[in-house]
Order: sequence, then structure tokens, then C-alpha cells
Amino acid sequence: MPSHIASGLKYLAAIELKKHGFTQQMIANELEIDRSTVSHYLNGRNLSWHSIDVAKTITNLCPKDFLIMTHYLFKDEQKTRKIVSICKKKKYCGEIADSCIGCGLCVDLCLMKAVNLDSLKAHINSIYCCGCLLCEEGCPTNSIKILEVNNDREYERH
Amino acid sequence: MIVNMKDIKDEGFDIKRSAEEIRNLSFKDHICIGCGICEKTCPVEAITVADIGPIVRDEVDISKINIDEDECVLCGMCSGICPVNALDFTIDNEPISEIAAYPKYISSAEIDDDTCIYCQRCEIACPRDAVTIARFLPERPNLVTGEIEVDVDVCNHCGICDEMCPADAIDVNRTPGEEDIVIDKDKCVYCLICKKSCPVTAIKAACRTCSYGDYDIDPEDAVTTGSSFIDDELCVKCGWCEEICPVDAAKVKKQFEGTLDVDQDKCTVCGTCIDVCPCNALTFPKSAGPATIVDNTEKQEEYCIHCGACERACPVDAISVQITDVDYTPTKSKSWIEKFEALKN
Repeated sequence: MPSHIASGLKYLAAIELKKHGFTQQMIANELEIDRSTVSHYLNGRNLSWHSIDVAKTITNLCPKDFLIMTHYLFKDEQKTRKIVSICKKKKYCGEIADSCIGCGLCVDLCLMKAVNLDSLKAHINSIYCCGCLLCEEGCPTNSIKILEVNNDREYERH
Repeated sequence: MIVNMKDIKDEGFDIKRSAEEIRNLSFKDHICIGCGICEKTCPVEAITVADIGPIVRDEVDISKINIDEDECVLCGMCSGICPVNALDFTIDNEPISEIAAYPKYISSAEIDDDTCIYCQRCEIACPRDAVTIARFLPERPNLVTGEIEVDVDVCNHCGICDEMCPADAIDVNRTPGEEDIVIDKDKCVYCLICKKSCPVTAIKAACRTCSYGDYDIDPEDAVTTGSSFIDDELCVKCGWCEEICPVDAAKVKKQFEGTLDVDQDKCTVCGTCIDVCPCNALTFPKSAGPATIVDNTEKQEEYCIHCGACERACPVDAISVQITDVDYTPTKSKSWIEKFEALKN
């Protein structure tokens, strides 16, 4: 069952990429799946619609639950990052206060690898940030604020 | 004074976090002076410094720090701010003192080998046994007879003549405060090595009768050579070597400027401060005998590193240490700057 839901998430990611003009080959490369599977997805074949419903529900959970759920389903950080960054609903940006001591705990906590340290201060890359708030919760000096960016997001290729 | 530092067994802790990078914090128990600066600095209050235990004269083991490994977030601040480098913090095995983003104190202790006369006074004076001076003596020639005299006003009691005298006729006491030079004329063989090797030309000697012919040695050869070494791990940059050096070869740059005050009314002359001071900056008044109740504790501010260990240890709060200036390398991090500046309070 978990693998079906994972396929459901891949299906949703494929549809999302299609919306942004990705070709089938590009989608296949992006999601690391066969081109024929992408073709099946885009033509609505080969999947239980129930799994897709569950997958949709997961993407609509709060960002932290969405991320943790996806991580659990894929058991692979890189694949999780891919699915979450494609299917996330909003864009986020981080504000780091001067009280940041540069301990790097946020860097270790971030599943999306959105945080890096520069000159003893954390920086959050909004392209990768999924808004899960794991860093904000873990910060020993409460220096991180994650803010929703108020615009329609587009998935960008890197 | 903390004695035999190298002999105290290292019972330090070692904390690691390995994820994106390997961060490691370790503690060198034998280097720690118990000043408590790390306790005040730790942003997550993971460090505690225990109160000082009973003092056994000359054998005090100052209170050492404890760290709550669950609280520690491995930010490295304690290591950066420790005035004596008792805490080692590395990221991917690189000490933060070598990573440019991290601020560090600007301090140094150096001995200029070109000026140094290798008299070893600094080695004797160093309260942390951080200085090692090695010296090599020239070959001694055949011996003759004559007369010899020392100008005691000029003599700096460096002890080179004592060391070089082939007849063991010179006795120099180099203990700071008790300097003395004695020449045993019965033993002297008037070789003039002392005269030629004296860095301040305090010795006047002549060879009156020379039955051995070629007695003199080339003055070039009469110069003592050697090498100096300061153990950076033990050195606290207190300035004893600079103060005691007769030829200004030792130069010390301290990281803190500040003041040290002893409230003479409150002081009970218990000696706790004298025992915890890492740089022998506090002494009992010279008049004090072991069985008398002495007046007060004296301070020698030129040797003070303003670490605050005595202030922390004083049972009657008679000591106040104030840091007025901190010298450290620039950093972009405001929180780190804040911690370094907070030392001044």
C-alpha cells in the first residue's frame, strides 16, 4: 500500500510538471522513472484513483506532515526533496535574526537541504524551503522565522 | 598556583555531532583555569563551572567545567571565547581558530632568538612552565691567571658567566627578587670567558700572568647560542617573560586590557586567589611570615590577564576584575561580537 501512495505522489508530481510545460522525457528524467510510466500517468492509466486521492490528501496536509509522510513513504531523502518541492502549495522564505549563533543545527535538521551557514549565520534558500518549520522549532536561540510568500509558485528546474 | 599542569590527568569531555559536517568539542582539563567565562557565554546555558573546593596550599585543582551534552548545540562559542584555549572545537577536524569566519583573540608571546641571550630567566619565571630555553656553550680554552671584578650595578644576573665558567668559580642566583653574583677568586682561572660572554659588560677581568701562551678565545666563540620555545598550549600571555627579560627579547601581547582591584577591607588573606591565579599576579605582602596574620593581598597588575578566576574564587567577594578592552579578529556575526563585547561588563 505505501508504494501505491508513493506512486500516487509521483503521479501528482508528473501532472504538476506537465502543467509547467515539461515534456514526457523531461518529467521522466526529473522523477527518475520510465518514460512509459510517465505516459501511463499522463493518460490516466495504470493507477488506482484511490491511491491518488490519498496522495492528494497528503499534499494538502500541513507542510511538516506532508514532508514527514513523504519521507516515510519513499524512505529516500533525495526523492522526498524532489516530490515535496514539486507538489508544495506555497513558497516560503526564511528570516534569520542577528541572534543566530551559527551552530548549524538547522542545517542538520533540514530535510530539504534549504539551509546553509555563511559567516556564522544561517541562510534559507526559498527555492528549496518547504515550510515544514523543523528548523524554526529546533533553533536553540529562536532566531529563525519562516514566512509564507504571497504569490503563486512555479516549480523551477535546477 | 596550579602546579604540575602536565601531570594532571586529562579528564575532559568530548562531544560530537556528525551530519552535514562533523563538529567536535573537547575539553582539556589541565589547561582550564576555571575562570568561568565559558559559563557566562554559552548561549544555551549548557556549561556550569562548579564552585571551588577546599584549598590545599600549592596543590589546588581549580574547579573544572561541566557540560550538559543534551543541551550543547555545538556552536563553538565557548571554544572561541576561552582565554586560554582549554576547549577545542573542530569542524571537519579543522580547529575554528583556523577558520576565518570565526573570531579569535589577538594575543601572542614571542621570544626573539636574535636578541635572546638564553639566560633562562623567563623559563624560571614562567608561572605555567610554558617556556623552554636551550643553550649551547662554546669550547673552553686552556687556563691562565689574573684578576677579576664584577660591577654589581650593571650585572643583570643572567647567569651566562656561571654557566660558562670552566672552573665553576661563579655562582649566580637568578631567582627573581633574590638576584646575586659571587665569584670565588680561589677557583678562578682567569680565562676571560665570563668577560667576553657577558651581554652587559659587567665583568672586568684581566689575565695578569700568562704562562700558557695562547689562552684567549675568539670573542665570537664566547657567545652563547641556543633556542627558545613557548608552549602555546600552556602559555596564558601573562607577561612574566617580557617583564623579566634583561634584553627585551620576549614580547607579549595580551588579549584583554583591564583592571584588578582587591578590597583591602574585605580581604581575609585566605590565599584562595593566589592559589587559583594562573599567572602569579597576586602575592602576599613581602612582610608576611608563614605564622603571622598578614595584612592584605597584594596584586601585580602587569602580570594579570584579567581572566576573573580570582574574582570567582574569592570567598568574600573582595576582588573585582574589570575587562576594559578585548582584542579579537573581526567577524560578521553580530551574536558572536555581542559575546566578545559582553566580556567588558
